[in-house]
Amino acid sequence: MRWVKAAVSFVLLAALVWALQTPHGAVPPLGKLANPFAGFWRNNASTDRVPERLDLAGLQENVRVVWDDLRIPHIFARNDHDLFLAQGYLMARDRLWQMEFIARFAGGRLSEIVGPRALDQDRFQRRIGMTYAAENFLKGIEGDDESRSILQAYADGVNAYRQSLKPSHFPVEFKILDYAPEPWTMMNTALLLKYMAWDLTGGNQDFALTRFQEALGEAVADELFPYVAPFQDPVIPPGTKWDFGRAVDERKGGPPTASGSSDTPRSRPPADPFDDVIGSNNWALAGTKTKSGFPLLCNDPHLALNLPSIWYAVQLSAPGLNAYGVALPGAPGIITGFNEHVAWGTTNAGADVLDWSKIRFRDASLGEYAYDGGWRKTTIRKEEIKIRGRAPVVEDVIYTHHGPVPFPEGGTAINPDVPPGCALRWAAHDPSGVLNTFFSLDRAASYKDFREAIRTFDCPGQNFVYADGRGGIAIWHNGKYPLRNKGQGRTILDGSLPADDWTAWVPMDEVPHVENPPRGFVSSANQSPVDATYPYYLGWDFGSFERGARINEILEATSNAAPEDMVKMQTDALSPRARMALPKLLGMVPRDRLGATAAQVRDRLAGWDFVFHADGLEPTVFDRFWREFYAAVWNDDFRSGGSSLPTPRSDVTLDLLLNKPGSLYFDDKTTPAVETAAEIAARAFSAAVAGLEKELGPIGEKWAWGKARGTEVRHLARIPGFGTPLLAVTGGGGTINNTSRTSGPSWRMVVSLGPEVEAWGVFPGGESGNPGSRYYDNMVPAWAAGTSYKIVFLRTPDEANPRLIGKTEMGGGR
Amino acid sequence: MIAILFCACVLLILQVLTPFWWWIAVVPFLFGLLFAKKSGKAFGGGLLIGAVVWGGAGLYFFLTSGRLIAGRIAAMFSLGSGWLMVLLTGALGALVAALAAFSGYLVRGQTYTSDKT
Repeated sequence: MRWVKAAVSFVLLAALVWALQTPHGAVPPLGKLANPFAGFWRNNASTDRVPERLDLAGLQENVRVVWDDLRIPHIFARNDHDLFLAQGYLMARDRLWQMEFIARFAGGRLSEIVGPRALDQDRFQRRIGMTYAAENFLKGIEGDDESRSILQAYADGVNAYRQSLKPSHFPVEFKILDYAPEPWTMMNTALLLKYMAWDLTGGNQDFALTRFQEALGEAVADELFPYVAPFQDPVIPPGTKWDFGRAVDERKGGPPTASGSSDTPRSRPPADPFDDVIGSNNWALAGTKTKSGFPLLCNDPHLALNLPSIWYAVQLSAPGLNAYGVALPGAPGIITGFNEHVAWGTTNAGADVLDWSKIRFRDASLGEYAYDGGWRKTTIRKEEIKIRGRAPVVEDVIYTHHGPVPFPEGGTAINPDVPPGCALRWAAHDPSGVLNTFFSLDRAASYKDFREAIRTFDCPGQNFVYADGRGGIAIWHNGKYPLRNKGQGRTILDGSLPADDWTAWVPMDEVPHVENPPRGFVSSANQSPVDATYPYYLGWDFGSFERGARINEILEATSNAAPEDMVKMQTDALSPRARMALPKLLGMVPRDRLGATAAQVRDRLAGWDFVFHADGLEPTVFDRFWREFYAAVWNDDFRSGGSSLPTPRSDVTLDLLLNKPGSLYFDDKTTPAVETAAEIAARAFSAAVAGLEKELGPIGEKWAWGKARGTEVRHLARIPGFGTPLLAVTGGGGTINNTSRTSGPSWRMVVSLGPEVEAWGVFPGGESGNPGSRYYDNMVPAWAAGTSYKIVFLRTPDEANPRLIGKTEMGGGR
Repeated sequence: MIAILFCACVLLILQVLTPFWWWIAVVPFLFGLLFAKKSGKAFGGGLLIGAVVWGGAGLYFFLTSGRLIAGRIAAMFSLGSGWLMVLLTGALGALVAALAAFSGYLVRGQTYTSDKT
């Protein structure tokens, strides 16, 4: 029987080896991962050492890299090709997994590595035309030798690094998810740009508003989802004259065109009305308002926060170019930053560049659709999705001349914003010059250069703030915007009507902008770009007034500003909403009718300064109070009895509370009595306190905003333990330091212009993408505390600076 | 003991030169097949080889530059401390190596039996 024993033992061994070799669902292949010679142990902090020499095949001349104490590289090349080759190499060295993962996500290729659990996500990306958009981008730059050579040099740099990597040194996420990096292509960079475009322009309320309008009529829709949101203080100072030197070709041809019908009202949960917390700020002060007499420029773009960090700080220097700023892993150049002459920064514009059009197909074959009184043929684009451990799936996506029809009638749309049976017209499907903008901005030396540079920036539209060392400031609500009738595209359109096609664009010189306004500053915070005098219709769903109003209020009162004041201002946490709503709300909550805890809480709120301090309980209570109030006002109107319509925004709710307290929307329709706003507020307050007591226990440390809410930076693939702990940060939705549980300022920058440009910056993470590196999250404590680092900006590679930690010579190698 | 040391060295060299983790099964298997005289000694020798080579390497990285990554991976598995990853690395190596050496020994026994009959 010895052979039985031997066989059993051998089979057991084989089974163990197999089990440790293979990933099981979300469990990584443990044998590979634990192997100390090639597994996670090799992703240690030895990557932090600065090499004296790096061989990089393809370099035409030597490149010098100087590293500062945040391990940020300052790249000095002798020509553009070498500069972007080195940038690709160094960014891959720190962020290879991240850039590859995002390109895969964008292009709908996650199932290839994680199996069927990502299939729905992949189908969605393919069906909204992400790969189509990226291909169009590449086609669009076919004749653009400069862009192509920069993209190619960058890709060559990434690939040179990738090829130099032994599997034992693959970033640890490759080992956990058990796959290998593949060659980097220009297509990946294109996909990355489209990922950003979707992130910034993909959200829309067209479908939700259509359902709302069908249920309650246009008048109610226009009242509760107004064209101009209340309390707006627009980006371009009201009263700015629009002098375009010619008659404007506006399309105010009567009422908004007939909208199609959604036909398929579905009950899906509407978007969380509080998700408007993602938003960005930028502003510039003229020299008349600063201590130095030269402009100050500030920018803090807000996004869902991730590790490895969203941004990669870098200095790029070559003849005719010396710029510092943050780059997007996977794309060459610098996105927001400064050079010796000018500085620039962006916030999302929020103009409407995405329409849905109802398509009437001739028959079930979906081969033809009604258009302009006749029939047009559709085309089919096949999207093959490879799936790890399974046969591939092929998705047939129908395209009309508008664009793809992501989900046919009766299909499951995956994303609740996508109406079935409708074609998607999205500006990001068109060829784009966005990269040219950054290549040109990096070397801009004047307002004229800036102006020329952003002219090619089409989608996603951005508020570009500008300042230069000669004293000029400006802001452009810049993008390629379709010429529309008022309200066109606000709801689902009729895809058979040519009148709703995008045939012309707001001229790039006539998008909202202002240069050196008399008030001495420019700013934007995603709010409405303009007042009612602007001749074109750009959309309606801009950000709420709060951050913009607060920024303008502070800047109005500012004089003699120093950079430190701006760093501090970027973490301002005063809530305009609380300041406006709370006195009114508390007046509706009589103290004598409250229990002991509620009365204590009410007293604290009554003495609050409306600042979302991390250690205060007031923000926790106000935030909850407002949510309860909001839900009590709207849920009975639009979300009861099986209906699931969108609910109005917080700013509309605030307007109702302050200016229309007698409104019938305050009545709780689920009761026979007619409630007033005061009764609803009192109920909401009691519910808020009771809810918090239940969740957090008696009043104590747990009630502190930084603990009860806090902010965490999660790992991009949500690997547990690879993010930050919950950070006790100030701020909340609608404050300048606009934080939520998982989002916030992804980069804070302050630039002081003048003969000697100086700058400060911080982002919630670090330069390295390696979780085993000291530089993975080394900037997090400073970010959470609201401080910024002085930026090391060098004029030459030989410049002495006490904060430099090493130099690397990069040579042609081989 | 010399055989154990020899096999540990061979294992170390193979692991350093190639990215394959499964040498931790192959080399101890050969140890059991070629050198071990008793089943207990095969198992114990494999255990020692695995624990020393994998545990030792884990300890080396932990003490030099691997503290942060060990902490991250420990957190990924909801474990408290990076030190545990040294123990677990050693334990995993020891387990696989011991089973492999034991299997190797039994397979050799099987071969001898076949020879005799």
